[in-house]
Amino acid sequence: MNGPRILAEGRWPDPELPGGLPPLPGFSASSFSPLVAEAAERCLRAHHGADAPAPGRTALLLASSGGDRATARAIDTAAASGQRVPPLLFFQSNPNAVLGHIAARWGLTGPVVAISPAEAVPGHVPQDALDLAALLLADGDADQVLVIAAEQADDDGRPDRAVALLVAAG
Amino acid sequence: MTGHAPPAVRPVVTGLGVLSAVGHGLDALAEATAHGKAAFGPVTRFDVSRRRTTRAALLAEPVALADAVLDVTAQACRQAGLTAADGAEMPVLLALHSDLRTREVTAAVAAGAGAALGVRGVTRVYTGACVAAGTAVADAAALVAVGRHTRVLVAAGHLVEPGVFGAFDAGRALARDGELRPFSAGRTGTLLGDAAAAVVVEAGPAAERRGAPVLARLAGWGRAGDAHHVCRPEPNGDGAARAVEAALARAGADPTEVGYVNANGTGSPLADLAEARALRRVFGAHADRLPTSSSKSVHGHALEASALLELAVTIAALRDGLLPVNAGWLGPDPDVGLDLVLDGPRAARPRYALSLNSAFGGANTALLVAAG
Repeated sequence: MNGPRILAEGRWPDPELPGGLPPLPGFSASSFSPLVAEAAERCLRAHHGADAPAPGRTALLLASSGGDRATARAIDTAAASGQRVPPLLFFQSNPNAVLGHIAARWGLTGPVVAISPAEAVPGHVPQDALDLAALLLADGDADQVLVIAAEQADDDGRPDRAVALLVAAG
Repeated sequence: MTGHAPPAVRPVVTGLGVLSAVGHGLDALAEATAHGKAAFGPVTRFDVSRRRTTRAALLAEPVALADAVLDVTAQACRQAGLTAADGAEMPVLLALHSDLRTREVTAAVAAGAGAALGVRGVTRVYTGACVAAGTAVADAAALVAVGRHTRVLVAAGHLVEPGVFGAFDAGRALARDGELRPFSAGRTGTLLGDAAAAVVVEAGPAAERRGAPVLARLAGWGRAGDAHHVCRPEPNGDGAARAVEAALARAGADPTEVGYVNANGTGSPLADLAEARALRRVFGAHADRLPTSSSKSVHGHALEASALLELAVTIAALRDGLLPVNAGWLGPDPDVGLDLVLDGPRAARPRYALSLNSAFGGANTALLVAAG
């Protein structure tokens, strides 16, 4: 099984595209989903232009070692207080939600997959995610895979970072 | 070109371990699901006094999530007759909820499984909501089918905890009446359940060479997306239908050869209807005489572990020739129109059984199983 061929890339932040992270309507309390969506958007625009839907069967594969920690903390805090958990946190309580947003916007009908690699270098796609993308392509459920690697800012002051690669069989 | 040709190497299941609110091991799960003995009760693990819904299907005794996963992986590897030398070459795919404890649980599973089974840690963690385990099984089957590995251990675990319970309650996803009634008139939502499950997926020829028991064959698998919404299913079940079609194509099976569907059937008004439409699209008139049930009505919704738990139910149904009851039934929903297994288990020996799962983000997985 050859490694996948990279068709396009998008990232956030990107020195060539200054500006803040755009909010994502319907998502709250955390930068994670906006981060994933913006990297994906930049990657898909780079390949397809601004016109959705994208042709063919494109899978979505999100790799995040840390996951959406801000949402997880908000849910745990609300639950521990005994108060009602903010309803918007229900659907963003798992990483599939933002993938559903991207899939709906771009018409991506391939598999929707989320993984949590043991280690990740922010701004880089883990090798395991590329291996899994290659498997999805070889197995025939997708013609292309949008691989997104996203890590939220941590307590050490590292910023939010995400990179998205659109790949096809090599 | 869909790329769903039957594989040269057929994956089989040679070991299975399971733990759920109905008990320990496959026999307890088979007995409860066949007869529709629902395991729901009041939640006492944490305070639910300010929640709309106060019921779930919980393990009788408290257990740490990593310990539950290690229990079922040990069951599966013991049944498969694997040695520590076998374990060293075996990838481990693990499905867990993504939260602040994911990394800690993974590390505990890796350490425990390394010591007990000889595996070299956890290879990959799947966090993709209610199809996380279904995706892991499909990927394991693909890894075996393309010859990358002789065998793969797939495990999953979910224990009901206050955060996710509170989020599902706030999202009005839980059944207001405290009963999970898949495809029924008057259904109001789902109920959560504890579960851990594990399977050893192995290349058929390798299992045959070493004389391993074949519990079931993974005849086909499929994964597809709805491209519709962050959490609502596509109303006609488009992605679910394509996942099933992919699984049938890989198996080289005709839809009429499928004799049981273990449906996703969460009890959600919208999702159950979309799933019924997906089954109607794939199976046509055969859906009128295709026995269908959702065993979530007995063991609850185990989220990231649900697809593996329900694969275990499906394998037990084929093993025993008893198709599980769709519990919680109040009466027909005229828009659903499926041949639901009601009142008692249906005796049958179908050639193929289908286990279907769907999740947030429009994710769908289908696993097509044949008797071993």
